[in-house]
Amino acid sequence: MSDVPVLEVSGLCVDYVLDRGDVRAVDDVSFTLNRGEFLGVVGESGCGKSTLLFAIAQLLSPPARVAEGSVTFQGTDLVGMTDEQLSAIRWRDMSLVMQSAMNALNPVKSIGAQFKDAMRAHGKPTREEIAARSAEVLRMVGIDPVHLSSYPHQLSGGMRQRAMIAMAMLFTPDLVIMDEPTSALDVVAQRSLMVQIKELQVTYGFAVIFVTHDMSLISHFSDRLMVMYAGQVDEFGATRTVFDRPLHPYTQGLLEAFPSIRGPKVPLKGIPGNPPDLGRLPTGCRFHPRCPYAVDRCAEVAPELYQLDQALVRCLRRQDGSLPVEADRSTPATRGA
Amino acid sequence: MTSTELLRADHLTRHFKIGGALSRRTLHAVDDVNFTIGEREIVALAGESGSGKSTIARVLARISKPTSGEVYFEGKPVSQLRSRRDRLRYSGLVPMVFQDPFGSMNPVLRVQHGVLRSLKLHRPELSAQGRSAEAARVFETVGLGADMLERFPYELSGGQRQRVGFAQALAMRPKLILADEPVSMLDVSIRIGLLNLMAELRDTMGVSVLYITHDIASARYVADRLIVMYAGQIAESGPIEEVLANPRHPYTQLLLSAVPDPRAPLSVAAETDRGEPPKVIDPAPGCRFRYRCPLAIDTCAQVTPVLAELRPGHDAACHVAQQAGADQVKAFS
Repeated sequence: MSDVPVLEVSGLCVDYVLDRGDVRAVDDVSFTLNRGEFLGVVGESGCGKSTLLFAIAQLLSPPARVAEGSVTFQGTDLVGMTDEQLSAIRWRDMSLVMQSAMNALNPVKSIGAQFKDAMRAHGKPTREEIAARSAEVLRMVGIDPVHLSSYPHQLSGGMRQRAMIAMAMLFTPDLVIMDEPTSALDVVAQRSLMVQIKELQVTYGFAVIFVTHDMSLISHFSDRLMVMYAGQVDEFGATRTVFDRPLHPYTQGLLEAFPSIRGPKVPLKGIPGNPPDLGRLPTGCRFHPRCPYAVDRCAEVAPELYQLDQALVRCLRRQDGSLPVEADRSTPATRGA
Repeated sequence: MTSTELLRADHLTRHFKIGGALSRRTLHAVDDVNFTIGEREIVALAGESGSGKSTIARVLARISKPTSGEVYFEGKPVSQLRSRRDRLRYSGLVPMVFQDPFGSMNPVLRVQHGVLRSLKLHRPELSAQGRSAEAARVFETVGLGADMLERFPYELSGGQRQRVGFAQALAMRPKLILADEPVSMLDVSIRIGLLNLMAELRDTMGVSVLYITHDIASARYVADRLIVMYAGQIAESGPIEEVLANPRHPYTQLLLSAVPDPRAPLSVAAETDRGEPPKVIDPAPGCRFRYRCPLAIDTCAQVTPVLAELRPGHDAACHVAQQAGADQVKAFS
């Protein structure tokens, strides 16, 4: 079993069926997630990263639907499964941590009662088993088990988010999907939550798909990084490689848009323009109107995802070599780290 | 920074009453805060959520009144502004730009509405034509075409809406813009453009900005000075490069150690602070950071530390840092 990947997504396309025509929010995304791997997915709002997560978890509701492709979780295709079939897998083998714990937790039930519901949905645990396991998972995330009798409003933002993660750990799943779990927190709480997620992941060996718009956040935590733009994968490779040697001009632009608190102060430009409307995509490469390196051909030919060195990149000029790969961006301090 | 003082907060305090008649308690949102903002200066106000940053902005904007203390603008106490004319003048000189570019605009009105309305209110000398010309001018200044004036908010992206917010503020010919997390809801690639805009307004028009943020890296990018808040009080303040290079307050050090930096090598072994910012309800004396502070000494539990100058222009409210004098204090790195 151990060499079977946890998740195989292949040619996944998600459409929003609207009156003005279908809008493709996720376009031909494929990847394989191995056991215990931490995959980061980054992109701007509207790039399809959350839709991708929902499609993987089979939580899409109309007007969104999977148009093509498959999501194979531990050998079985989830697309087309009924809710009954899915509910056996959900939470037991695959759990989800959402962006806003305040909305994901039930405000009128205590944390313990919500844990109990989740456990009762999968089997017939005794009261003692429930109490023991609930206390155990809360301790795992650094919350005192007395909070099992607390209501969500009595916890701080960071603790609510931790309680959500504890709930996701109830059955020690093989895959935990996280949709910007730290974005409502401030930097200190964010950092400590990330460290904690990583610790749990190393200890229990589950795979993680972590979606965020903040690239710098996952730079130290994810194994591989997928950069999405306008519904497509633009770049996909080992996290360190993507940071040190970004291939796609969009990834480069994203990295250069982050001011740093260390080193010399350099003027930054950001990326001009705005992400395209998915209903009115530009011809050719979807990034070309904002790309500083675009040539005429970029407006005509839609690039595929090309294999280049160890990474995948969707850029014509990288593929034909007319945009040479620059030297290592990393500073001496990070090289070899 | 030797710029002329534009605004000074003097022992500014804002408390909120909470609870019913029998359990009346007081939330100390802002407690005894002193700072100045100079002309042509961007001051970053940083801290965790609940540290009182936004309350300060709201007091400065006269949205809420201070419980005690005073704000001096151009040397005159703001609480003494009585006439409608004086109050209008102040709110024109010190406008506010809000965090949420989606909630701060009326969705059924064209984006020029806000600009034209504030022009009519604050610059009555302009004719209708003059107002349109002025609206077009401020839109150009913030990098929006004049054709944007006719658009509805839903036609604009988040970054463009936030530029409209700045245009609205600029129309009143302000001296100080209170920007409450103006970029935190925008995408990363858009943020830089707005930060550059703030720096440009300072450099070309001499406008000061109070830039409220929890993102220290973006603060460093635009600001001249940094004020770090913790639990309603100022923990540390000073020229931003100096504070970032030599943070003296343990909280500032914690804050800096938490900033994700993709260029730095991995250090997961770093201390895992699992503390939480306190709710400051009926606080006892003593340092409010002491529960999370690895350096806390007995004095910290008894005496509330006050800001003291440790280097020229660089203040910290920490007993340990003040005793250590010139020696480095290192709690988190």
